[in-house]
Amino acid sequence: MSAAPLLTMSDLRVSFNTQSGRVQAVDGVSLELMPGEVLAIVGESGSGKSVTAQTILGLTRSPNAEITGSAQLGGQELLSASERELQAVRGARIGMVFQDPMTSFNPVYKIGWQIAEAIRAHSGGTGKSEARERAVELLDSVGIPKAAQRVDDYPHQFSGGMRQRAMIAMALALKPEILIADEPTTALDVTVQAQILALLEQLNRERNLATILITHDLGVVAEIADRVLVMHNGVIVERGELDQIFYSPADPYTRKLLDAVVRIDSAPPLRTRRVSEPLLEVTDLVKHFPVKRGLLIDREVDRVRAVDGVSLSVRQGETLGLVGESGSGKSTLSRTILQLLSPSAGSVRFEGRELVGLSRRQMRPLRRQMQMVFQDPFASLNPRKRIGQIVGEPLRLQGEARGGELRREVQGLLERVGLSAEHYDRFPHEFSGGQRQRIGIARALALRPKLIIADEPVSALDVSIRAQILDLLSELQAEFGLTYLFVAHDIGVVRHVSDRIAVMHEGKIVEQGPADQVCERPQDAYTKTLLAAVPIPDPREARARQQALGTA
Amino acid sequence: MGRFVIRRLGGMVAVLFAVSVLTFLIFNVVPGSDPAQRMAGKNANPRLIASINEEWGFNDSLPQQYLTMMKKIFSGDVISYEGRENVDERIVEGIPATFSLCIGAAVIWMFFGILFGYLSAVRAGGLLDRVLTIVAVAGISMPIFLLGAIFLSYLTYKTEIFPSGGYVEFGESPLEWLEHLILPWTTLAILYIGFYSRVLRSSMLDVMNEDYVRTARAKGLGERRVMSRHVMRNSLIPIITLFGLDFGALIGGAILIEGIFSLNGIGQYAYESLKNFDLPPVMAIVMFGAFFVVLFNALVDIAYAWLDPRIRLGTEAR
Repeated sequence: MSAAPLLTMSDLRVSFNTQSGRVQAVDGVSLELMPGEVLAIVGESGSGKSVTAQTILGLTRSPNAEITGSAQLGGQELLSASERELQAVRGARIGMVFQDPMTSFNPVYKIGWQIAEAIRAHSGGTGKSEARERAVELLDSVGIPKAAQRVDDYPHQFSGGMRQRAMIAMALALKPEILIADEPTTALDVTVQAQILALLEQLNRERNLATILITHDLGVVAEIADRVLVMHNGVIVERGELDQIFYSPADPYTRKLLDAVVRIDSAPPLRTRRVSEPLLEVTDLVKHFPVKRGLLIDREVDRVRAVDGVSLSVRQGETLGLVGESGSGKSTLSRTILQLLSPSAGSVRFEGRELVGLSRRQMRPLRRQMQMVFQDPFASLNPRKRIGQIVGEPLRLQGEARGGELRREVQGLLERVGLSAEHYDRFPHEFSGGQRQRIGIARALALRPKLIIADEPVSALDVSIRAQILDLLSELQAEFGLTYLFVAHDIGVVRHVSDRIAVMHEGKIVEQGPADQVCERPQDAYTKTLLAAVPIPDPREARARQQALGTA
Repeated sequence: MGRFVIRRLGGMVAVLFAVSVLTFLIFNVVPGSDPAQRMAGKNANPRLIASINEEWGFNDSLPQQYLTMMKKIFSGDVISYEGRENVDERIVEGIPATFSLCIGAAVIWMFFGILFGYLSAVRAGGLLDRVLTIVAVAGISMPIFLLGAIFLSYLTYKTEIFPSGGYVEFGESPLEWLEHLILPWTTLAILYIGFYSRVLRSSMLDVMNEDYVRTARAKGLGERRVMSRHVMRNSLIPIITLFGLDFGALIGGAILIEGIFSLNGIGQYAYESLKNFDLPPVMAIVMFGAFFVVLFNALVDIAYAWLDPRIRLGTEAR
């Protein structure tokens, strides 16, 4: 690393004028990117890591933004460059990959066309067919099978992982010196994430491609980074070599981040629970969605087997973790258990009583026993209602309480989940993600249910908040004798909270058993793949595993 | 594609049937609509009325009368109560004026609507955007009859720049055709330009926040290409939807505008027939209008599929 840095950024400050005043997103960031290294910028949401990366390419420029400092790319100052000068840098000298491959391609153009467009934007002389051939080569080089055929596909015909590969191919189209990857695997399933990380690693190694990796996930960092910058509130709080950051962190915030990580390979404290009666029994549950087509009258031509014969039972007071990747049917399963979707076949018994076939009116008194906590704390709270109304609504609907009594009850609930009674009259947008999830939990608790189905309750939250919410859930479980069905894609988190785990894949439960057994001695091939793909936030172990797999 | 066309045709038949039955029923329950009474005139006597009833088949049951009328409309034999003229022929005579008006106005409003909407969105918040917003809102708020009257008063009676209404066939004199149509086109287009530019502006502002627009910039495309290739195409869907509905509806009833500028097209015929409770032309024009509304909705769906491959290839995708 004695060579001159490719990119030097000094004292970058970015602030935005918003309706609620000036927001200082980046507050004095300096960094150097050396040839051939993978530099990770780690931070939670709002830390300014994405703004830093996008400012390099001038993507944050707007009348509301104030940008000062310097970013030099081989002697060229980027922050003061004209729009035209920047266009020559974007894509050609610095390629960029974004978080969500689902929305980062324009849905109305073919993948190959979009890659060719990038090529033609920079080399005016390149013909259309030549650019298209180049697109085929690029897709092939990032591991798209049958690239010559797939080049004319539209983005929606690609899977998420293939789209991210194509995105990387597009970013590399003009052989840039630097690749900026902004949360490149966050929207992907863990098995796909492992493939994309391997691809990035391979590109870095084979082409000596300097990479800036923006991520919140320390597991991802441990897998591929050389050097790490930790960002918090717009400032770099710590910088160092990978091992130094992981094994001898100096800054308290870095330590807090590392401590908050839930590791799949560490067993949570053993819990002892009395063996009790099953609260929920699901037997051979099936939910199929018909695919209809027809001339004037639709007839069923195919069916999507979202839930395909699932049996499981949850005992009083325990937590059953339900793990699966996107499309495995886990959300459909939880909705079908609650009879929010009517099952195609099978049985759901709650306290011994059959739910399938009950009318809405018959279900109503049972609903209060079963509540749900949702994934997205931003979308699942009505933005025009006050917190008191949101949390008190179940009580009001079931005729439990009204007036002053309702208010006292709700304020008690708010305090119980770690908020305060004064929050009663506030609106959802005044709260952070973690606080909103607490509101969602208070709402679920309002009717003192026996069963709570939590559908990805911490997936949208930052790591440090995640641990707090998980702790809250387990405290409440002990206090109120709650039973949880905990649905998530992250097997590490699931292991942390569950007594038993069920692994779901393509509508079926492929493996089910005590948490430790499933995680340490998995029987099913899919469970093994899933476990192997989870990145371990420990550079030494990550290296050991890579060597074992022959990828390093 | 074949399935789509058959489905659409089926839907079209159902809509036309429902519209015609409704029109027919409404006409028969509205007070003062008894055609025999009106045809017999002021000196009506019971014998005359009875004979008219007999001759025109008004004694038949309602379903029978409906069937007879529909048969005549589709075979071109339907005769109006007022003036006893062939209705289908009158409609065909009105087509050139109405189509010239609607197509010309549509070209103008689509061009300026898209242009103004584009400029507003690209310069959102700036001076140009504000000016265009005021222009658009003024255009939307201005009633057609008022705007038409103002144009007529200032540009034909006071200054005699334009002819005062009427329609000249294109084949007769293209120049006069144009002169006679400029005012009606402008009057009609101003309203729609306002609407369309506002809709396009907000649709473009939504699309400009999409991730793929950021991707387009990140790969080094120029701002003009980002706008025209990546923002515009995805913003056009609401415009196409509006256009299908508006244009179809206009062909069946540009009543006000044809009236103001005495264009003597289908809209004016519809107005006269309604005034006289003349059921046959009303039925025929309603069918004509409904046909175009349904037709343009089908074209809109085809345009969607052309604009968005997710719709076109939806069944093949996973």
